[in-house]
Amino acid sequence: MNETSEKKYSLEIFPKEIEELKNTIKTASTKIMEEYIERMRKTWPDRPEEMQYFDEIAKFWGTREKEIVEAREEGKKVIGYTCMFAPIELILAAGAIPVRVSSGLYDPVKLGNRVVPVEVCPVVRSTIGVKMVGLSPYLELSDALITSLTCDGMTKLSEILSDYKPVWTLCPPRLKDSEQSISFWKEELKAVKEKIEKLTGTKITSSKLKSAIERLHRATRAFRRLQDLRKGNPVIMGRDAMLVNQTLMWDDVERWTQKTEKLCDELERRAQGKVWACPLKTPRVMIAGTPIIWPDNWKLPNLVEEANPQGVIVADELCSGDRFLYDPVGVDEWTMEDMFNAVADRYLLPSTCPCFTSEDGNEDRVNWIKARVEERRVDGVVYHVYRGCMLYAMEYMRIKKVLDKINVPVYYLDTDYTREDVGQIKTRVEAFLEMLKSRVEF
Amino acid sequence: MLLEIISELLKLTIFAGLALAGILAILIWKKNLTTKVTYLRTFVQVVAMIAFFYIFSYTTWLLLILVVIFAISIVLGRFFCGWLCPFGLYLDLVAVIRKTLNTRYWSLPEKLNRSLHILRYLLLVFFIVLPFMLGPIEAWQWSLAKFLMGPFKPISVLLGPVEPLIIPWESPLKLYGLSFSYPYASIITFYSGENFALINTFIFMALTLASSFVVRRFWCRFCPTGASLAIVNRFRVFKWIPFLRLSKVEEKCTKCGICKRVCPVQVTDVYEQKGGDITTSMCMLCLRCVEMCPYEDCLKLSMAGKTLFKSRNWLEPSKIT
Repeated sequence: MNETSEKKYSLEIFPKEIEELKNTIKTASTKIMEEYIERMRKTWPDRPEEMQYFDEIAKFWGTREKEIVEAREEGKKVIGYTCMFAPIELILAAGAIPVRVSSGLYDPVKLGNRVVPVEVCPVVRSTIGVKMVGLSPYLELSDALITSLTCDGMTKLSEILSDYKPVWTLCPPRLKDSEQSISFWKEELKAVKEKIEKLTGTKITSSKLKSAIERLHRATRAFRRLQDLRKGNPVIMGRDAMLVNQTLMWDDVERWTQKTEKLCDELERRAQGKVWACPLKTPRVMIAGTPIIWPDNWKLPNLVEEANPQGVIVADELCSGDRFLYDPVGVDEWTMEDMFNAVADRYLLPSTCPCFTSEDGNEDRVNWIKARVEERRVDGVVYHVYRGCMLYAMEYMRIKKVLDKINVPVYYLDTDYTREDVGQIKTRVEAFLEMLKSRVEF
Repeated sequence: MLLEIISELLKLTIFAGLALAGILAILIWKKNLTTKVTYLRTFVQVVAMIAFFYIFSYTTWLLLILVVIFAISIVLGRFFCGWLCPFGLYLDLVAVIRKTLNTRYWSLPEKLNRSLHILRYLLLVFFIVLPFMLGPIEAWQWSLAKFLMGPFKPISVLLGPVEPLIIPWESPLKLYGLSFSYPYASIITFYSGENFALINTFIFMALTLASSFVVRRFWCRFCPTGASLAIVNRFRVFKWIPFLRLSKVEEKCTKCGICKRVCPVQVTDVYEQKGGDITTSMCMLCLRCVEMCPYEDCLKLSMAGKTLFKSRNWLEPSKIT
């Protein structure tokens, strides 16, 4: 923002080097995105036509980027966010475009390593790297960023990003169930609301907020409809459903809702015609843990669904997946205050992020996983953690004990933003799926 | 004679038929799942208000009503308060006015709310015991005047909230030949004397309406009539009685806090308790929390083990299964 102000973290890189790095990574990543989409088509030969829209949106540097550029030229503001704590309703109510900017690209990690040590969570390192060379269109186009101080990585990431953009921090309290936490959180959101109003120059009135909440209600409805379709016999492969969930991070909410409803219509027809996406005895897998972000991060979903024996991802407990839009804002009376309280509650209270703790040990998360396991008939859970993601890694034992009690096998997979361990993980994932398969057939 | 009985029966049948038709119409017409039960409840309240108006014309039934109300409270909890009480309807209508004016309600501190709830039982004991302490019980005359004007007769005090707005007997406020009244008005009139009856009634009216304009259902938080006998919930021996019960499934609850926020009498147990039976004597079973809970099968209202109503994904259009 302030070109003159001193850069606290970022390094001086020659513009030429930046250009070069950007182009190489961009070419490589474009290729990977296309390859991954191709692989998804291959696993699911009769992939519905409706998925093509999501493929298109999923591509960075594509149609969606152009749209956002055009919208910006018309005077619309773009507000990026790193965590799902950012109040999307407020952003939409102010007429701005919300985009999620946490990076899922592997190559920029090496750039991030120049700024922070390798022990840091790769999502953070990759986001730093992406920003250093101006790679992600969404991060570049955003006028301001809302970061949440959830884990250590995210806390410092917001400091580092403030070298480049105005950063508004949201600090969620570590305890949810107390009056002081909730009032603190409401104050935090109020501050962010004022900043949004200042940036966009529009006052968030109650009618605007109401319409934003209703738009997201419709989106949540479509979102939950898609997730509910994953309850029964598999009509959609997990990766495709995950892709649909992810595209919401950048896409226009209303158009996304329409397209998702259409996809759900098609899937419902298939379910009636008993056309399944994969054999019925395929082990049903749930992914829990650190968020998986398109595109490079598709490593694990790819491995699970392309493995031999094949598995199908029927649920995930990721803040970039099933949890993203699962909870609706429940408004009692459509007054400004009540709507605001409802929005604040929706972002804080049902969140199962491991950055929270309670006497019962983040019980909400345990309950969420247990409910999903039962509802989606999950055969096994893959607990996915990046090296450096302390909170998720430390909660593993808690989740494992709970799942052991209900007799659901868990497999702890720790990985990094790297392609080098694919072979090794493949063997382990296949062994896990083999075990699940024998359990299913038994 | 026979003709009269038949005509009375016919009237009742028509009335019941109309009420049922109204309920059915709301169930079919109202598509928005977040307000469906609220509409239904308001309709039932209106029907109950009319019914109470008719019942009040028959004096000898009054004690029976009180017995029925308390019987309901024992078996169903405070279902009466949420669904049948006319005073509750007026206070709900005040809330509707507040909503249209776009003003926000205040929430009472939890401790104050709980102590108000305890005050309810103290008032109940007070009204039942006091007449015995004031003097010898005179010969009960089953006449209207004695019923509603006896000093601290528990029946008249406890039936206060049910008092219709238009009464078939004399009242201080007369307009166009009709006698208007208000809950508790006859008791106030009795104690105020002729000169102050009207003023005191108006003051009481203003206080109750204004307080529930600011705090949702303020009067209901300590109204002695709404004393549900929580004792029966305490003892295992009575578990066989087909109580109306609210229950919660622990795993399905994400603690999103909606139930806590929408509750008109600020019951926190639905939110705070982990799971299982969450019926409390503070809850008036208006089912607003069940209606607003966005997680399927999380909150459940059941009677004798049968589910009557449960929370569902209210974003979804209702499907016939």
